Amino acid sequence: MQEISCEDLLQYLSDYIDENLDEELTAVAKHHLATCHSCSVVLDSTQKTIFLYRQQGKRTIPAKRRERLFDRLQDAFLAGKGETA
Amino acid sequence: MLNEQELLSALRRRDSAAFNQLFDTYSDKVYRLALSQLENEDEAEGVVQDAFLRLFERLDQFEGRSKLSTWLYRVAYNLCQDRLRQRRPLLSLDEDNDDNDLPAPTVLIDWEDLPEQYLSAAEVSAELDRAIATLPPKLKTVFMLREMEGLSTRECAEVVGISVSAAKVRLHRARLLLREQLAAYFAERV
Repeated sequence: MQEISCEDLLQYLSDYIDENLDEELTAVAKHHLATCHSCSVVLDSTQKTIFLYRQQGKRTIPAKRRERLFDRLQDAFLAGKGETA
Repeated sequence: MLNEQELLSALRRRDSAAFNQLFDTYSDKVYRLALSQLENEDEAEGVVQDAFLRLFERLDQFEGRSKLSTWLYRVAYNLCQDRLRQRRPLLSLDEDNDDNDLPAPTVLIDWEDLPEQYLSAAEVSAELDRAIATLPPKLKTVFMLREMEGLSTRECAEVVGISVSAAKVRLHRARLLLREQLAAYFAERV
Protein backbone atom coordinates (compact mmCIF):
# COMPACT_ATOMS: atom_id res chain seq x y z
CA MET A 1 0.00 0.00 0.00
CA GLN A 2 1.09 3.56 -0.77
CA GLU A 3 2.60 5.34 2.24
CA ILE A 4 2.01 8.99 3.08
CA SER A 5 3.86 11.32 5.42
CA CYS A 6 2.39 13.10 8.44
CA GLU A 7 2.49 16.34 6.42
CA ASP A 8 0.43 14.75 3.68
CA LEU A 9 -2.03 13.38 6.23
CA LEU A 10 -2.42 16.85 7.70
CA GLN A 11 -3.26 18.23 4.25
CA TYR A 12 -5.97 15.59 3.83
CA LEU A 13 -7.30 15.73 7.38
CA SER A 14 -10.42 17.83 6.79
CA ASP A 15 -11.29 15.91 3.64
CA TYR A 16 -10.87 12.71 5.65
CA ILE A 17 -13.14 14.01 8.42
CA ASP A 18 -15.73 15.13 5.85
CA GLU A 19 -15.41 11.82 3.95
CA ASN A 20 -14.42 13.63 0.78
CA LEU A 21 -11.41 11.48 -0.06
CA ASP A 22 -11.66 8.82 -2.72
CA GLU A 23 -11.56 5.18 -1.67
CA GLU A 24 -7.87 4.72 -2.31
CA LEU A 25 -6.76 7.81 -0.38
CA THR A 26 -9.13 6.96 2.45
CA ALA A 27 -7.48 3.56 2.78
CA VAL A 28 -4.00 5.12 2.68
CA ALA A 29 -4.99 7.69 5.33
CA LYS A 30 -6.53 4.98 7.52
CA HIS A 31 -3.35 2.93 7.26
CA HIS A 32 -1.24 5.93 8.28
CA LEU A 33 -3.56 6.76 11.18
CA ALA A 34 -3.41 3.18 12.44
CA THR A 35 0.36 3.35 12.67
CA CYS A 36 0.97 7.00 13.67
CA HIS A 37 -0.09 7.96 17.18
CA SER A 38 0.55 11.69 16.67
CA CYS A 39 -1.68 11.89 13.61
CA SER A 40 -4.43 9.87 15.26
CA VAL A 41 -4.29 12.29 18.23
CA VAL A 42 -4.61 15.25 15.85
CA LEU A 43 -7.57 13.60 14.10
CA ASP A 44 -9.33 12.74 17.36
CA SER A 45 -8.79 16.18 18.89
CA THR A 46 -9.88 17.98 15.71
CA GLN A 47 -13.09 15.93 15.60
CA LYS A 48 -13.70 16.65 19.29
CA THR A 49 -13.10 20.39 18.72
CA ILE A 50 -15.80 20.38 16.05
CA PHE A 51 -18.09 18.35 18.30
CA LEU A 52 -17.61 20.76 21.23
CA TYR A 53 -18.36 23.74 18.99
CA ARG A 54 -21.55 22.17 17.64
CA GLN A 55 -22.57 21.17 21.14
CA GLN A 56 -22.47 24.79 22.31
CA GLY A 57 -25.86 25.36 20.76
CA LYS A 58 -27.06 28.11 18.53
CA ARG A 59 -27.47 31.62 19.84
CA THR A 60 -30.77 33.26 19.10
CA ILE A 61 -31.81 36.89 19.01
CA PRO A 62 -32.59 38.05 22.56
CA ALA A 63 -36.37 38.21 23.10
CA LYS A 64 -36.87 41.98 23.35
CA ARG A 65 -34.59 42.66 20.42
CA ARG A 66 -36.38 39.99 18.43
CA GLU A 67 -39.82 41.44 19.17
CA ARG A 68 -38.71 44.92 18.13
CA LEU A 69 -37.12 43.65 14.95
CA PHE A 70 -40.17 41.56 14.07
CA ASP A 71 -42.51 44.54 14.44
CA ARG A 72 -40.34 46.86 12.35
CA LEU A 73 -39.85 44.32 9.58
CA GLN A 74 -43.49 43.27 9.55
CA ASP A 75 -44.54 46.91 9.14
CA ALA A 76 -42.10 47.38 6.28
CA PHE A 77 -43.22 44.11 4.68
CA LEU A 78 -46.92 44.91 4.85
CA ALA A 79 -46.31 48.48 3.70
CA GLY A 80 -45.18 46.97 0.39
CA LYS A 81 -48.66 45.48 -0.12
CA GLY A 82 -50.21 46.82 -3.31
CA GLU A 83 -46.80 47.60 -4.79
CA THR A 84 -46.32 44.01 -5.84
CA ALA A 85 -49.89 42.69 -6.07
CA MET B 1 -44.76 24.98 6.33
CA LEU B 2 -44.28 26.27 2.80
CA ASN B 3 -41.41 25.10 0.63
CA GLU B 4 -39.08 27.77 -0.68
CA GLN B 5 -40.91 28.42 -3.96
CA GLU B 6 -44.26 28.57 -2.20
CA LEU B 7 -42.79 30.87 0.41
CA LEU B 8 -41.44 33.26 -2.22
CA SER B 9 -44.78 33.34 -4.04
CA ALA B 10 -46.61 34.05 -0.79
CA LEU B 11 -44.11 36.76 0.14
CA ARG B 12 -44.70 38.43 -3.22
CA ARG B 13 -48.40 38.54 -2.32
CA ARG B 14 -47.37 40.12 1.00
CA ASP B 15 -48.95 37.27 2.90
CA SER B 16 -48.38 37.90 6.59
CA ALA B 17 -48.14 34.19 7.49
CA ALA B 18 -45.34 33.91 4.93
CA PHE B 19 -43.57 36.79 6.64
CA ASN B 20 -43.82 34.94 9.96
CA GLN B 21 -42.29 31.84 8.41
CA LEU B 22 -39.50 33.88 6.80
CA PHE B 23 -38.68 35.64 10.04
CA ASP B 24 -38.81 32.48 12.16
CA THR B 25 -36.66 30.52 9.71
CA TYR B 26 -33.96 33.01 8.87
CA SER B 27 -33.67 35.85 11.40
CA ASP B 28 -31.59 33.91 13.92
CA LYS B 29 -29.33 32.50 11.21
CA VAL B 30 -28.56 35.96 9.82
CA TYR B 31 -28.16 37.36 13.32
CA ARG B 32 -25.59 34.72 14.27
CA LEU B 33 -23.55 35.39 11.15
CA ALA B 34 -23.65 39.15 11.74
CA LEU B 35 -22.80 38.80 15.42
CA SER B 36 -19.82 36.59 14.62
CA GLN B 37 -18.52 39.25 12.24
CA LEU B 38 -19.32 42.42 14.11
CA GLU B 39 -19.33 41.27 17.75
CA ASN B 40 -21.95 43.89 18.53
CA GLU B 41 -25.62 43.09 19.12
CA ASP B 42 -26.97 46.45 17.92
CA GLU B 43 -25.04 46.20 14.69
CA ALA B 44 -26.02 42.57 14.20
CA GLU B 45 -29.67 43.56 14.61
CA GLY B 46 -29.13 46.31 12.05
CA VAL B 47 -27.73 43.80 9.58
CA VAL B 48 -30.73 41.48 10.02
CA GLN B 49 -33.04 44.41 9.38
CA ASP B 50 -31.15 45.61 6.30
CA ALA B 51 -30.83 42.12 4.83
CA PHE B 52 -34.57 41.48 5.17
CA LEU B 53 -35.45 44.92 3.77
CA ARG B 54 -33.24 44.21 0.78
CA LEU B 55 -35.07 40.93 0.23
CA PHE B 56 -38.45 42.71 0.36
CA GLU B 57 -37.23 45.19 -2.26
CA ARG B 58 -36.01 42.44 -4.54
CA LEU B 59 -38.74 39.87 -4.13
CA ASP B 60 -39.93 40.32 -7.69
CA GLN B 61 -36.44 39.97 -9.12
CA PHE B 62 -35.42 37.03 -6.94
CA GLU B 63 -34.79 34.28 -9.47
CA GLY B 64 -34.02 31.46 -7.12
CA ARG B 65 -30.60 30.70 -8.58
CA SER B 66 -29.40 30.57 -4.99
CA LYS B 67 -31.24 29.10 -2.06
CA LEU B 68 -32.98 31.81 -0.06
CA SER B 69 -30.77 31.09 2.95
CA THR B 70 -27.57 31.38 0.89
CA TRP B 71 -28.82 34.63 -0.66
CA LEU B 72 -29.65 36.12 2.74
CA TYR B 73 -26.32 35.00 4.23
CA ARG B 74 -24.48 36.55 1.29
CA VAL B 75 -26.31 39.87 1.58
CA ALA B 76 -25.72 39.88 5.35
CA TYR B 77 -22.06 39.00 4.92
CA ASN B 78 -21.58 41.90 2.50
CA LEU B 79 -23.43 44.27 4.83
CA CYS B 80 -21.08 43.19 7.61
CA GLN B 81 -18.06 43.83 5.39
CA ASP B 82 -19.41 47.34 4.66
CA ARG B 83 -19.80 48.04 8.36
CA LEU B 84 -16.32 46.71 9.14
CA ARG B 85 -14.86 48.95 6.43
CA GLN B 86 -16.64 51.94 7.97
CA ARG B 87 -15.09 51.09 11.32
CA ARG B 88 -11.61 50.67 9.89
CA PRO B 89 -11.50 52.53 6.60
CA LEU B 90 -7.76 52.12 6.16
CA LEU B 91 -7.80 48.39 6.65
CA SER B 92 -8.19 46.19 3.63
CA LEU B 93 -10.38 43.28 4.60
CA ASP B 94 -8.73 41.18 1.93
CA GLU B 95 -5.19 42.01 2.87
CA ASP B 96 -4.50 38.69 4.47
CA ASN B 97 -4.46 36.54 1.38
CA ASP B 98 -5.15 32.86 1.57
CA ASP B 99 -1.98 30.91 1.87
CA ASN B 100 -1.61 27.20 1.79
CA ASP B 101 0.67 26.82 4.81
CA LEU B 102 -1.21 24.89 7.43
CA PRO B 103 -0.72 25.50 11.13
CA ALA B 104 1.40 22.54 12.23
CA PRO B 105 0.00 20.78 15.30
CA THR B 106 2.45 21.23 18.16
CA VAL B 107 0.39 20.19 21.19
CA LEU B 108 -0.13 16.45 20.95
CA ILE B 109 -1.71 15.39 24.22
CA ASP B 110 -4.18 12.58 23.81
CA TRP B 111 -7.70 13.85 24.55
CA GLU B 112 -8.77 10.26 25.18
CA ASP B 113 -6.84 10.58 28.46
CA LEU B 114 -8.83 13.60 29.60
CA PRO B 115 -11.38 13.07 32.36
CA GLU B 116 -14.90 12.95 30.88
CA GLN B 117 -16.01 16.15 32.62
CA TYR B 118 -13.28 18.16 30.87
CA LEU B 119 -15.08 17.89 27.58
CA SER B 120 -18.42 19.07 28.89
CA ALA B 121 -17.42 21.81 31.32
CA ALA B 122 -18.69 25.36 30.84
CA GLU B 123 -15.08 26.47 31.23
CA VAL B 124 -14.16 24.60 28.04
CA SER B 125 -17.03 26.24 26.23
CA ALA B 126 -15.73 29.65 27.33
CA GLU B 127 -12.23 28.71 26.17
CA LEU B 128 -13.64 27.68 22.81
CA ASP B 129 -15.39 31.07 22.53
CA ARG B 130 -12.10 32.79 23.28
CA ALA B 131 -10.32 30.68 20.67
CA ILE B 132 -12.98 31.44 18.04
CA ALA B 133 -12.71 35.15 18.80
CA THR B 134 -9.01 35.01 17.91
CA LEU B 135 -9.59 33.42 14.52
CA PRO B 136 -9.08 35.71 11.53
CA PRO B 137 -12.60 36.83 10.47
CA LYS B 138 -12.42 35.13 7.09
CA LEU B 139 -11.68 31.78 8.74
CA LYS B 140 -14.32 32.31 11.40
CA THR B 141 -17.05 32.97 8.82
CA VAL B 142 -16.47 29.76 6.89
CA PHE B 143 -16.07 27.74 10.08
CA MET B 144 -19.32 28.93 11.65
CA LEU B 145 -21.32 28.67 8.43
CA ARG B 146 -20.12 25.13 7.98
CA GLU B 147 -20.03 23.75 11.51
CA MET B 148 -22.87 25.66 13.16
CA GLU B 149 -25.22 26.44 10.28
CA GLY B 150 -24.59 23.26 8.34
CA LEU B 151 -23.84 24.82 4.95
CA SER B 152 -21.90 22.79 2.40
CA THR B 153 -18.43 23.99 1.45
CA ARG B 154 -19.88 25.12 -1.90
CA GLU B 155 -22.56 27.19 -0.14
CA CYS B 156 -19.94 28.70 2.20
CA ALA B 157 -17.90 29.68 -0.86
CA GLU B 158 -20.97 31.26 -2.47
CA VAL B 159 -21.78 33.31 0.63
CA VAL B 160 -18.25 34.66 0.99
CA GLY B 161 -17.63 35.02 -2.75
CA ILE B 162 -14.58 32.75 -3.00
CA SER B 163 -13.76 29.50 -4.78
CA VAL B 164 -14.74 26.17 -3.27
CA SER B 165 -11.08 25.24 -2.87
CA ALA B 166 -10.37 28.49 -0.99
CA ALA B 167 -13.36 27.79 1.30
CA LYS B 168 -11.99 24.31 2.00
CA VAL B 169 -8.59 25.74 2.91
CA ARG B 170 -10.18 28.29 5.25
CA LEU B 171 -12.27 25.62 6.95
CA HIS B 172 -9.27 23.35 7.37
CA ARG B 173 -7.09 26.13 8.80
CA ALA B 174 -9.84 27.19 11.21
CA ARG B 175 -10.28 23.65 12.48
CA LEU B 176 -6.56 23.18 13.05
CA LEU B 177 -6.11 26.56 14.75
CA LEU B 178 -9.01 25.91 17.12
CA ARG B 179 -7.76 22.40 17.86
CA GLU B 180 -4.34 23.77 18.70
CA GLN B 181 -5.73 26.37 21.09
CA LEU B 182 -7.97 23.89 22.89
CA ALA B 183 -5.13 21.36 23.02
CA ALA B 184 -2.88 23.98 24.66
CA TYR B 185 -5.65 24.72 27.16
CA PHE B 186 -6.01 21.04 28.06
CA ALA B 187 -2.24 20.53 28.18
CA GLU B 188 -2.00 23.06 31.01
CA ARG B 189 -4.53 21.09 33.01
CA VAL B 190 -3.42 17.48 32.74
